[in-house]
Amino acid sequence: MTTLESKPIAPPAAPARGRRRGKRSLLRNKWLYLMLVPGLIHLVVFKIAPVAALVIAFKNFSPFLGLWGSPWVGLQQFQAIFNDPQIPGLVVNTLILAVGTLIFSFPAPIIFALFLNEVRFTVARKFIQTMSFVPYLISSAVLVSILYTLLSPQGGLVNEIIKDFGGQPISFLTDPDWFRPLYIGLNVWQTFGYGTIIYLAAMTAIDPSLYEAAEMDGVGRFGKMRYVTLPALVPMMVVMLILALGQVLTVDVDKILLMYNPNTYATADVLQTYVYRLAFASEGFPKYSYAAAVSLLQGIVAFVLVLGTNRITKRLTGSGLF
Amino acid sequence: MTLTLRQNKRSSTLPTIRRRKLTAFEFVNLVVLFAIVAACIYPFVYILAVSLSDGTAVNAGKVALIPEGFNLETYKYVLTNERLGILRSLLNSLLYTAVGVAFSVTITYLTAYPLSKARLGGAGAIVMLFLVTWVFDAGIVPTYVINSQLGFVNNWLAMVIPFGFSTFLLLIAITFLRNIPVELEESALIDGANDLQTMWRIYLPLSRPLLGTIGIFYAVQIWNAFLVPLIYLQEKTLAPIQLVLYRLLLNTDTNATSFQQITMGGHQLVPQNIAAVTMIFAIVPILAFYPYAQRYFQQGILVGAIKG
Repeated sequence: MTTLESKPIAPPAAPARGRRRGKRSLLRNKWLYLMLVPGLIHLVVFKIAPVAALVIAFKNFSPFLGLWGSPWVGLQQFQAIFNDPQIPGLVVNTLILAVGTLIFSFPAPIIFALFLNEVRFTVARKFIQTMSFVPYLISSAVLVSILYTLLSPQGGLVNEIIKDFGGQPISFLTDPDWFRPLYIGLNVWQTFGYGTIIYLAAMTAIDPSLYEAAEMDGVGRFGKMRYVTLPALVPMMVVMLILALGQVLTVDVDKILLMYNPNTYATADVLQTYVYRLAFASEGFPKYSYAAAVSLLQGIVAFVLVLGTNRITKRLTGSGLF
Repeated sequence: MTLTLRQNKRSSTLPTIRRRKLTAFEFVNLVVLFAIVAACIYPFVYILAVSLSDGTAVNAGKVALIPEGFNLETYKYVLTNERLGILRSLLNSLLYTAVGVAFSVTITYLTAYPLSKARLGGAGAIVMLFLVTWVFDAGIVPTYVINSQLGFVNNWLAMVIPFGFSTFLLLIAITFLRNIPVELEESALIDGANDLQTMWRIYLPLSRPLLGTIGIFYAVQIWNAFLVPLIYLQEKTLAPIQLVLYRLLLNTDTNATSFQQITMGGHQLVPQNIAAVTMIFAIVPILAFYPYAQRYFQQGILVGAIKG
């Protein structure tokens, strides 16, 4: 789940005027500070400590020696990344899946919302919107399982239809050529209902007088969609695009872990699944430090991408996130 | 106000505007939209049909929309055969979700309440810390290193505590609490209530929609969690239903592979039947809450999106 928080919503800290005042405020607000305790402990232990544990990327971590006992190795792990023959292929796969998802998943809810907005019957509109949102709530494990059942070469519906038309059954899930379309399609199916909610809400904020003015000028239905509705959605589109671009190096790792198998590694294996296997599913000793280095490098590049796209969109459209 | 009222009245006296006939465009548009929705929903209907069908018909590819050889034997088999571990995983998931939602909603609300108060010194800095750790996520490996040292490996509390506090929902909660009129709090404080009493008696009853929203978000997140149990809960008896589904999918589960065809009550059961029943179990709790969830979800999504 993402949000578009640009500025801290809390006000700046109260101006400190001497220590006594601070002490008094502490006493006066003792209940408030007490309420904060569990949340702060959680913040420190589960959100800040893992960031500190990133030092293992500069160490040769061994669970027996512990976080601080393991020897420092400097940038050795990062050098290893550049000598790892697997990495270029993984980067390419990650980019193709992420950009492919962006190309299809980004416009799908916009187009859907535009046409849904043209439906005059409230009941039908509500019904369609409600139903399109169902896949978003269903887990990836279920969605992928459904995909397996539908596409199974034994009795799967899709292959039965192919056979009815005299074709050969295709084993979709072990064919590397089919992985990318399936992953992207599944993603569109899962997420377009979510985006539709956001764009429909943005449409209700459009001033109706704009449509009236367009009608007076003799603009037709598609003209209104093109010249009134769509431009009104641009700010929201920019926000969604920046968020999506920030994710360009990250893919839905749950879905890939569920969908891929050694047969499809050629197109399906990405940086995050590689990190997962290095640390949690490798034969032999898990390479925690190397895995942490790969994901740290990926995180830094992604962070730079967010800042970069934000700057570019700000220059182009005048609106950005930060 | 009066202007808009008058306008509405006028348009209602013009039946030509309201009872306009369905244009060709609108008809095609409706048909296409309904077709898209049908395509979205059909896979779920198909799974339901498979779960209720005879295994031989499933293997022959005869099931498409309506169950062939209707029977409930697969459900009976899954619910009574403990070796499969499906019933157990269902109970696990229910437990994790119930405890998790209680924990997560409590900690989120307790943290959001003081952070929503402008008079609290240091609130801004703490929110900033949450934001920074949110944008800069450490990644699965360092997180695992910390959590494993705290004893969360093969401990079901891994589904509840380490990932049970979302910054996104914290921000939603803070925004909501900020929008409650401050006069309510002031009058309570003047009446001599302390902050704890004000929170409990004044704010909590007003926060029901908020608690509903964050509760639903957490429930869906925990119920659907996959990577967390995959990494932390390797012991089979701890697996939630999503993980069992994954093992059925991979057929790595020895009980599932040894299981090829079983006859029960005169009906064949094949692995597809078993998987379909498991999927239904994984879907139904979500769909049961759906009408309720959708409203709250929309609110949450919109609050998240519009604040940008």
